[in-house]
Amino acid sequence: MEITVKKIGESDKEYIEIGCHKKDERIDEIIRFIRSREGILKGTKEDRQYSLALPDILYIEAVDEKTFIYLEKDCYESGRRLYEFEEALTSRNFARISKSVVVNLMKITSIKPSLNGRFSCVLTNGEQVIISRKYVPDIREKLRGGAV
Amino acid sequence: MKEHLRAQLASFFISVTLINLAMLILGCLLEPDLEFGYSAFAYPLIYGVIGSLPGLVMYSKKELTMKQTIIREIIQMLLIVVLIITFMFGRFKNIEYDMIPQIIAVAVSVMVIYVLVHVFGWLIDLKTANKMTEDLKKYQARASEK
Repeated sequence: MEITVKKIGESDKEYIEIGCHKKDERIDEIIRFIRSREGILKGTKEDRQYSLALPDILYIEAVDEKTFIYLEKDCYESGRRLYEFEEALTSRNFARISKSVVVNLMKITSIKPSLNGRFSCVLTNGEQVIISRKYVPDIREKLRGGAV
Repeated sequence: MKEHLRAQLASFFISVTLINLAMLILGCLLEPDLEFGYSAFAYPLIYGVIGSLPGLVMYSKKELTMKQTIIREIIQMLLIVVLIITFMFGRFKNIEYDMIPQIIAVAVSVMVIYVLVHVFGWLIDLKTANKMTEDLKKYQARASEK
């Protein structure tokens, strides 16, 4: 397969075009990979700034006026507020599940009942985050395919 | 607050059903010959309301940790025990020795009902959680295909 990379002007919209004989599983996989790399967040750790790919993020949490981005093993700090992440990422498979957490829905493996009418999300790394009772109807609506 | 009230209402109806059952069992064991009028139908409802009051008072806007939730639940249960016993036996100026088994039976019943209400609530939540997990898998499949 020949791969061509063409530089385009700053004002032009970036695009990827695939020329294929048939749109099969292999092409779908490439599309899924490209889609998964769309979107990046900036996070800092030990005074160094990192680019974090959205699909790698498990959840974003606000703690005492600070916002932290959690990946499988690492945690990064961000200067942005939680509501900004909520607004920017709602269309990107992220959802607010409590006053302090925005979670990546693609990183949840299962949902379990917790105490007091709350639910708990089990993430791909085994960590658990709480869904507050207040956010349960919205999450259910979103999972069923409705807009939140 | 709306969700909290809804949860309290669900707990109330489960409580009323279980209080009916507890009254039947305790009545048969402790006072099998006692007869009641129509007013007896009101008691499970009154006890249900009394049992729901601490839940309304103990509502917290803050997101509690698991430990805080457990502590609150224990305090709430003890408060309900005190309220129900006060309501049932408060009119007696002196608690006689033969009333102690009744008080203990009521206290144990309240605690059993409290735990059962939570068990039933948890079972309903388990069903909801399983449905949410099912919807989540479909959501993830749809999102991956996009």
